[in-house]
Parts: sequence; C-alpha cells; structure tokens
Amino acid sequence: MESIANDYTINIATANGTGSQSANLILLQAFFEMGVPVSGKNLFPSNISGLPTWYIMRLSDHGYQAPGDRTHIQVLVNPATWAEDLAALEPGSVVIWNENAKMEMNREDVISYPVPMSALARKINPKIAKLVTNIVYVGVLAQMLGIDQNALESAVAKQFKGKDSAIELNITALGLGRDYFKDTFSKKDPYVVESREIETPKFFIDGNEAAALGCIFGGVQMLAWYPITPSSSLAEGIINYIPQLRVDDEGNATCAVIQAEDELAAAGMVLGAGWAGGRGMTATSGPGISLMQEFIGLAYFAEIPSVFWDVNRVGPSTGLPTRTQQSDITMLYEGSHGDTQHIVLMPGTVEECFEFGWRAFDITERFQTPVFGLSDLDLGMNRWACEGFTYPDQDMDRGKVVRDKDVFEAFEEFGRYLDVDGDGIPYRTLPGSGMDPILYRGTGHNPKGVYSEKPEDYFNLMARLKSKIDGARDLLPAPILREETECEVGIIYLGSMENTIQEIDDMLEATGLKVSQCRVRALPLHSEVEEFIRRHETTIVLEINRDGQLYGILRKELPNDLITKVHSVAYSDGMPPRARIYSDRILSTLKEVNQ
Amino acid sequence: MSDAPARPARTVKLNVINEPKDSYTGGKSSLCPGCGHDQISNVIIAAAWENGIEPHRIAKMSGIGCSSKTPAYYLGQSHGFNTVHGRMPSVTTGAYAVNKDLLYLGVSGDGDSASIGIGQLIHAIRRNMDMVYIVENNGVYGLTKGQYSATADVGSKKKKGKINTTQPIDLAALAINLGCTFVARSFSGSKKQLTSLLKAAMSHKGFALIDVISPCVTFNNNDESMRSYGYVKENEITLHMTDYIPHFNPVEEVEVPEGHFRDIELHDGSTIRLETISDEHDPGNAVAALTALHEAETDQKHVTGLLYFDNTKPALAEDLGLVETPLIDVPADSLRPSKAILDQLNAALLG
Repeated sequence: MESIANDYTINIATANGTGSQSANLILLQAFFEMGVPVSGKNLFPSNISGLPTWYIMRLSDHGYQAPGDRTHIQVLVNPATWAEDLAALEPGSVVIWNENAKMEMNREDVISYPVPMSALARKINPKIAKLVTNIVYVGVLAQMLGIDQNALESAVAKQFKGKDSAIELNITALGLGRDYFKDTFSKKDPYVVESREIETPKFFIDGNEAAALGCIFGGVQMLAWYPITPSSSLAEGIINYIPQLRVDDEGNATCAVIQAEDELAAAGMVLGAGWAGGRGMTATSGPGISLMQEFIGLAYFAEIPSVFWDVNRVGPSTGLPTRTQQSDITMLYEGSHGDTQHIVLMPGTVEECFEFGWRAFDITERFQTPVFGLSDLDLGMNRWACEGFTYPDQDMDRGKVVRDKDVFEAFEEFGRYLDVDGDGIPYRTLPGSGMDPILYRGTGHNPKGVYSEKPEDYFNLMARLKSKIDGARDLLPAPILREETECEVGIIYLGSMENTIQEIDDMLEATGLKVSQCRVRALPLHSEVEEFIRRHETTIVLEINRDGQLYGILRKELPNDLITKVHSVAYSDGMPPRARIYSDRILSTLKEVNQ
Repeated sequence: MSDAPARPARTVKLNVINEPKDSYTGGKSSLCPGCGHDQISNVIIAAAWENGIEPHRIAKMSGIGCSSKTPAYYLGQSHGFNTVHGRMPSVTTGAYAVNKDLLYLGVSGDGDSASIGIGQLIHAIRRNMDMVYIVENNGVYGLTKGQYSATADVGSKKKKGKINTTQPIDLAALAINLGCTFVARSFSGSKKQLTSLLKAAMSHKGFALIDVISPCVTFNNNDESMRSYGYVKENEITLHMTDYIPHFNPVEEVEVPEGHFRDIELHDGSTIRLETISDEHDPGNAVAALTALHEAETDQKHVTGLLYFDNTKPALAEDLGLVETPLIDVPADSLRPSKAILDQLNAALLG
C-alpha cells in the first residue's frame, strides 16, 4: 500500500466540556512542530458542557487550510453523533473509536481501530477518566501516523505551561495510547506524517488574540464590552495583556476596562471616550452591532472617533452563535438610520488582525468617524500560523485635534464642523481645554456646531460627510492582488476566505481557467478594485453569506459599464468554507454567464 | 467744564477664582416661558459660580428631551454632549474613563431616566460613577406633547385624555435601594435648597442623584396633577434644610434654624450641613430615607432634601485602577509599548 503523507483531514468527534479542546490543540501543535502545514477548526456548540463538538484538522503540503472535501480519519468518542459521523464517511476511511462507548461499529468498508479509551484512561486516574480519554486518542493517532515523540512532548509542555503534574499525566496517557496501538494493531491504513523543513519559524495564534495585541499597540485607552461569542476572547485578550504591556511601575493601567451592562452602553462608552479625546473601542458580534446602531449614527453625524470590532457569527437573530459567516458587511458599511457610510477594515490573516488592531485608532482619529474591524469566528477563534507581528511603521496619528491655545488662536475662523482644509475633515478641540466649547449633538448643526434646521446647513453637512469618507478610499489598506497575465476570471473576496482561496483557485485552474485574486481589505472600496474588474473578462465576488453583500456594494458603486462584468457567488451553511463547494458554484456561475 | 465727580465703576461680583457669574451663563432658552427647567438652569449657573469651578473644567451631559436641551442654556464655556435618548450615563462613563479630572454634570428627564435609560441610570449608580445627575422630573413627555412618563403618579390627569392608573417609579427610592451614594429630592421653585444640594453634589465623589420636581407648565399644569406648580407648592414638606460650605470659604454664614443640625464632611474636604426639621432622619440611614419617601407617598406629599448620603464607597475611578494622570494626557510612548517589547513578545510566542 502506498502511503499518503501530510495530505488528509482528521475529524475528532467529542462532547464539549470534556477537555477535548486541550487534547486537540496538543495534536495540532505537534504537527506544527514537525513543520507540517496544518490548520485546525473547532466546531463547537453554543453551550458549556455535553453537546457535540468536532475538531477538524487538515494536513496539507499545499498549504490548504480549509477543512477539505472529506474526512480521511475519524475519531469517534461522542455517542451522540456516532451514527451520523459514521454514516458520513467514505469507504476506506479510518475510524478510531472508543470501544467503551457502548456504541455499535456497523461499517465494514472502513479501516477500524477499536480502542478501549475509557478503560485505558481509568487506569491512570479513574476520577478524571473522561478528561484523560481525549489524550489517549491523541496517543493512538501519534502511533498510527508516526508523530515524533519530541514534538508531542513539546506540544504538551506548551499546552500546560509549567504545570508539571498535568504534563506528566498527559505524557503517560499519550504513552498508553501509543502502546495500545503498537501492541494491538498492525497498520492497515496509508496515512503517515512526515517532518518538513521549517523555513521560517512560526507560532499558532487566533485572530482575536492577534487583534487584541494590535489594539494594545494601538494605544487603546478604554475598552467597553459586553460578553458575546465569538468576540469575548478579543476583549479578554486585551484585559489579559494590560498587566503585562500597559501599566506603570506601580501597576496602574493606561487603559480602562469596563464591562458594560449591554452593547448599547458599551457603544455609548466608546463614544464618550472618543469625544473626550481618548482611544475607545468595543468588541462584539452581529447582535451587538444591531444594538449599537443608534450610537453608530451619532458617531458618524457628530464625528466622534470610535472603534468597533465585529467578530461575525451566523445571523440573522441569534442565528448559529458558534458558527462562522461574512454577513455583517452591509450592516457595518451603512449602519444606523439615515444616510450613512462607514469605514470597515477587513483582515484576512492574523498578521492583519494585529495590524488593523492598531491602525483602526489612527484611522478613526484621522477621519473622526466610526471605524469597524470586521473579523469572523473562523479567523477570530481558530488558530493560524504566524511568523510574528510587525511593529507599527508610523507614529500614532491623533488627527486634527487642536491642543494648543496659540494654534487655536491662529485660526482665522474656528468652527467644529468647518472644512478648513477642503478634505471634509474639520478640526476639533477637547472637553476641558476651554477652546471652542460646544454642545455636541446628534441633531442638525451648522459648521459652528450650533443647532440648525436650515436646508443649506443640512445639505452641506451631509455632502461634506460623504466627501470625507470618500476621501478615505485610497488611504485605507489596499486590496491584495494576485493576478495572472491572462485576465480571464477575477475573484474578489474578503476576510477569512483568504484561507481557502488558493485551494479554490487550484481547483478552477485544474479545469483550464486562468484565475486572478483580489482580496479587498477595507470599505469604502479602494479604486484598485474597479481597475481590477475593468481588466478582467469576468469577475466573481465570493462571499460567505446568502445575499452577496459585498457584491451589492459593488453593484451600487461601480460605473454602469462594469456592472455586467461582475457576478455573485455567495454561499453559507455555517461551516468554515470548503473549497469544493465554492469552486463548483463558481464554475456553474461562469457557465451561466457564458451561455 | 464742570467738575462733576466721576461715576464710580460698577463693581462686578467675582467668585473665588475671580470669575464673574457671566462666565457661567449660556444661550437663550427655547423652552416654554415659566418652565421649571429654566429655574434649574439658573441654579446650575449659581452653584457652579459659587463653588468656584473653572467653567471649562465642567462637562455638560444630557440625553434627549426638554430637559436634555437645557445644557445649551447654561455654562457656555463648557464642552457638552447632548447624546441620545436615555444613554447619557454610558457616554459620560466613557468620557470619565479617559478624563477623570472633569466635573461631569448630567441633566436628564423622567423619560430619559425612568423609561428608556433606566438601565443605564441603574448601572451608573452601581459603578458609583463620579458625576452629578439631575433629573428634571415633570411626569410627562414634553417634546412629544404630553404623554405620561413612568414617574406620573396614579391619578394624575392630563389636560386631555385618561387618568393615569399605572404605578409610578420613584427614582429617589430606586437610587437608595441601589446603594446610590448621594440621593436628594428638590423642587425647581426651591432655589435656595436646590442650590445647596447641587453645590454639595458637585463636591461629592461618586454618583449624586438629585430628583428635581420640575412642573411642566404646558402639559402638566392642571391642579389634579401631582407635579403641577400649585400642587407641589401646597404639598411639599421639607425634610432638611441643607446648606453647603465651600471649603475655600469657611466663614460664609450658614443659616441655622432652631433645632438639630449635622455636619457631613465630603470627600474634597468641604462640609455639608443638614438642618433637620424632622430630627429623626439620619441621612446615613437608608431605611429611614425609604420610610420617609413611602410615608410622603402615602400622604400624597413630596419629601425634599438630602435623603441619603454615603461617602465610604469608592468611586469608579478607584475601581478602574488607572494611572494618576488622566488617560488623555498620558504620553504616546506610555500608550504604545516599544518595538523591543514586541520583539520579545514575538520571541516568546515562538517559544
């Protein structure tokens, strides 16, 4: 039998709250330490304990990070999904299953490795047998695939930093799993793992922690938040890093953290901080943004710097709280009632989560308007390989704030909303400064900030706001282009689709197409996007949602002659994108277009 | 040429920081003539002037409604924020987090505070957010032309329409139950009492709620309404006379009526003196304050004065554990860790 190295998907079915997450992360880290390109997706339920959880690991020398089309190796621990998981397997798949689960193994066309996981775990410590069961299957997999013991032990040490007894217990349990496989089975499957040269050392980190660090380096001064999956770990990341990175010698912090009573209050606090001259932010998800709409409009209209991170989950309503989607694009871009338009930063990698984390504050203070970071559950909560974060390449930009009396007096005429420089961005003074004291308001106002219902005041204000945001287009992160010389099919996509795009591209090119990629990283769209569309025969806008929200924005903003060249492929079932689904849909869309 | 004597220059009275009262005034009111809210605006001007606060060090905060429009009518040298309906406490909290050195003066109405924003009021009290929070309470929605608010008493009658049968919310009682550290009630026509209460509230470190009955002259001024001018003047009972002695002017005379009094030291060293008519009432006793409120309600009267006071609880700033300098004045190099630190962090993550 020919062996298959580093090109398969492992699916581990457990129940949450049993400690399987640590075991799975140890396995992931062990592959990683062997230099194997690997990605992990945690599909977890919206509860704390006892519901089905799957962890999907994809090993791919191509660097593919999507879950893949099928499962090659299934680990069955959870009786609740046993039958369903088993039935979904293709013939020839490997099944490592817990013999003590009192469940039936009714497939004869698979390679079966029954392991008495619970019994082995009980041998170590009956009291925590459930916990140890998980690490036993890691040991079994290690033996079956040939995972390097040093890599495994290093992964255990990383997972249980400094907790010697936990490290010892886990290594013992791994050994039991390994020995059981070695003593009981002769290898019947083709799957192996092979070490690869590590060219650039990398570490694993999730997007939320990366964004949190970015915010810390962006000089965040106030975090107001209300817990919500999948964004809580972004806020908690900031909270965890403050004692290390943002305190003085006495341990006093330079960033305030307030857990608000709801998302409305969190947004209000962000505006308060911005109004007072500080860098305020919140982290939330779609339902939180829904609640914040009123304040988002106020921030836009009264021109208050404010940063909102949205880690997108599946909507509408409560939706699928622990699944991923790109469905808040329109809500962010046109948030709140009335005519509005907002700046949205859309990272696609953990490095960009960090970068946009600090950059968001510079942009919000420069343009005096709310700035959104749009991540999603897949990017935010799963771990991704990272070479390290790059230090900000520019000093903090605090925007047009007049802090000095001399500067203030040098103005020929001062008005909070007066467009002095012709870029639509006015100057502001801060509360407590005594300069140009005005009553900020969400009501109509003239260039001096005084209440006004005059038609020309309202019209001019709205026109200036539009020109201000429009002026941001080419100053925001530009799209990342990977273009073929033959401009046949262009794909415009965003965010975490970055992790699947190459596999989709390869699938399409296997049919003979020439495919270019354009990953947009900010709204309003950079002028490069229009040029990309112009250059290509056909452009597909690829999104993880139902309605093609980014496509809708393009339809609205593109010149008429380009609209017919652009087509939407939007699909979402809550799962992280699987390349085959999207490539098939792209092919059928292209077929329709060419008919 | 006659030798007429030169006319003496008119002396302008200055406060302790040499500011005339004019430095504390604002724009012209656009409220209905005779509105109680305008009297409160005048009291705010007087209290800030008498306390000698630098006008630009005050932040005027408000929500939406008639009351929330008033920050335009006082303290023209202060920045302000007329926010959204019921959400002034959260905006104030965020501003305070980054600049704790301003005096945050919130003005709100009963729609703001007892309905749409009751949650934010409650949580600001819970945090002991360091601010003055005035409720200009008239029992109606004025700007939308006279709907009952959640503080309208059972039996109140609008000029048109049904008698109110819905139980009102007593914001002072609510605040005491929540452990609010300064709770007072007054009446917009009681200028002297309200000025004293407001001056004391401005010196308090923590959340100071003053529920001011402020009759709506347009929509709530039939005498059946318990918040009409006539009704309140007839039925108000004064629980305490308060007077406030600013710490920079200890010689100021305090009117001491016969009977008992008590001096309470505020966080900033200034003292508030309570002169009790009802000498059973101890403002440190929440149960007594609640009892007084309930008895007044039963008797269909309003009890005014400083109802509850507690200067032992830490204000929000202490909970936040921040550096002494207001965050907006912290230099950039303390806000952004150095490149060396990021390099160390990257190295640590690489393991």
